[in-house]
Amino acid sequence: MRNPFSRFISISPVSLCGGIVAVLVVSYIGLIAVVMSYAALTVEFSQSVKNVEATVATLESEYLAIVANITTTDYTAKGYTLPIAKTFVPAKSVTALR
Amino acid sequence: MRAQFRSRIRFILFFLILAALGILLRLYFVQIVHGQAYSDKADRQFASSDSRLFDRGAIYFTRKDGTLISAGTLETGFLVAINPQVLSDPETAYAAIAAATSSIFITRDAFLSATAKKNQVYIEVAHRLSDADGMAFAAKNMPGVQVLRERWRYYPGNSLAAQSIGIVSYGSGDTLTGQTGLEKIYDGTLSRSGDSLYKNFFAELFSNVGNLLVNAKDAREGDVITTIEPEVQIRLEYDLKKVNQRYSSKESGGIIMDPSTGAILALASYPSYDGNDLRSVDPMLLGNPLVEHVYEFGSIMKPLTMTAALDAGAVTPNTTYNDTGCITVDTKQICNWDLKARGVIPMQQIILQSLNVGAAWVATRLGQGTFRAYFTTLFGQKTGIDQPNEGRSLLGNLAKPQQIGYDTAAFGQGIAETPIQMIRALGALANKGAMAQPHLVSAIRLNSGIVRSLDWNQTTPVFSATAARETTQMMTALVDQKLEQGRAMIPTMSVAAKTGTAQLTDGRGGYHSNRFFHSFVGFFPSYNPRFIILLYTNDPRGVEYASETLDATFLDLVHFLIDYYAMPPDRGFATSTPS
Repeated sequence: MRNPFSRFISISPVSLCGGIVAVLVVSYIGLIAVVMSYAALTVEFSQSVKNVEATVATLESEYLAIVANITTTDYTAKGYTLPIAKTFVPAKSVTALR
Repeated sequence: MRAQFRSRIRFILFFLILAALGILLRLYFVQIVHGQAYSDKADRQFASSDSRLFDRGAIYFTRKDGTLISAGTLETGFLVAINPQVLSDPETAYAAIAAATSSIFITRDAFLSATAKKNQVYIEVAHRLSDADGMAFAAKNMPGVQVLRERWRYYPGNSLAAQSIGIVSYGSGDTLTGQTGLEKIYDGTLSRSGDSLYKNFFAELFSNVGNLLVNAKDAREGDVITTIEPEVQIRLEYDLKKVNQRYSSKESGGIIMDPSTGAILALASYPSYDGNDLRSVDPMLLGNPLVEHVYEFGSIMKPLTMTAALDAGAVTPNTTYNDTGCITVDTKQICNWDLKARGVIPMQQIILQSLNVGAAWVATRLGQGTFRAYFTTLFGQKTGIDQPNEGRSLLGNLAKPQQIGYDTAAFGQGIAETPIQMIRALGALANKGAMAQPHLVSAIRLNSGIVRSLDWNQTTPVFSATAARETTQMMTALVDQKLEQGRAMIPTMSVAAKTGTAQLTDGRGGYHSNRFFHSFVGFFPSYNPRFIILLYTNDPRGVEYASETLDATFLDLVHFLIDYYAMPPDRGFATSTPS
């Protein structure tokens, strides 16, 4: 009876080395692909973070401008009057606004 | 069978080599032949990165609820550069660039002279184009005109806290670095080396595992979190601008600080500048006068003189003296502000009526050695605030034997201090006799994500808590009884304050008789203060006393802070109080 593994055992060293080289080449290309993808994604994410930060900065600039506008507006000149009285109420009071 | 296998292998190998050659050829064209074009195109794309792009950590304000608001961050856009060797029609190019940008752009003459430099291939002519403008202009594909990605420092608050935040510029080198303010002090934290995105993860993994796990840069680089509250800062700046314009002062400044921790909530000076537009800024404004300049503050020094005397046991609150209105010391005359005598009065009246003769009497009673020791502790050292170029006080008169130097120092003339030194010293009255260390930055948020709090807990004890409290009582009585003839009193909040008016030096060893430096200090609630406020206005016109210029500003800030922080009443609690 013929050994079912005999055809593998009979592979020559050259073929074996060729196979190993092929596997290594594929692995190498795979590693390069992973490294490139990693670098590209890192750069892209980093840039994305910077872009979001810039967008947030624009919003923050608007917020600060609005606060400045509220601060510098003369509400008396716009027809509003100061409150007649400021009233303190106990925090536990049911009527206290929160 | 074996021959067939070999032929298949060779066949596959042939195709692999062919594919490899194809890839190599393609790479040659992509990287060598068209490399520059692709690089330029990548620079214009939003999701690309370039190691030349400026990078820097952020500086944050801290709102009262702990929310961080950017004080200094980065903005991304485009710059326009020309290649004079390729640019054929400069007039058309100039018109197109001018139409595309409303940002920083060189003049027409400068542009035309740049295009004449045919030995150069790259000259930047416009900066800070918005994304929309840059994209639209790049789509025109003008020969000899390049549109490239650019990133720059951006201050969302424009002029808000500009002198404290500082600026970045090239300085003497070819790298953008912090030149003033926090940008300079924390430059090591905010700077970025820019190579972190370009290292090979696997190469690092095999060659430098330690550095990958614990990166030294991650422990150093980060963002700066300040103690500045943006809305309080806006209010202070607005009030200072108003008072400065109203009285045509040379300059005005103010600091709001937590006296128990030294955390500065607002620090402002007027005039200032817009950190986003430095083209026409007076270089003198780039520094921080509240930290760098020294002034003679006048009568806000009296509470310190009084506390020193109380602490040393030289006087008690019930001690009396005979106020004659004017006295002569070392052939020089010292008088009260109104030249009037008060007769025999207790110590509290020195603070309430701001009596120079009384302050001089206290200084004499204290003795030169003791007086010098207290004032050297208060002002002899820099505060150590995290701002560059901090100034030193001028205490030369306290090194001389003439009593006149001590007597005038007792009411804030003849010695000069920085505003930051002054608020630290006066903060001791509000902090049970101990000076806290003023600071603008509370923490560093490292790139690793760790937030490292800075240690500013060192305090300098100067007075006993009892002496500080006794002076606080006098200052509180001043607000309740004297300030705006008692109308400034807040029934539900105790406020301690003192005004100061100093004559300005004339530069010839004397003083102007009609030019003044006004100052104002106050803290509240008086006996457990959350805030101390120091204000000054330099050389206001048409007005003599600080009680006329700065009391409204001070009271506006007090009411604003009470409302903004919803501070509970500390006295005379009533269900309804007049507004």
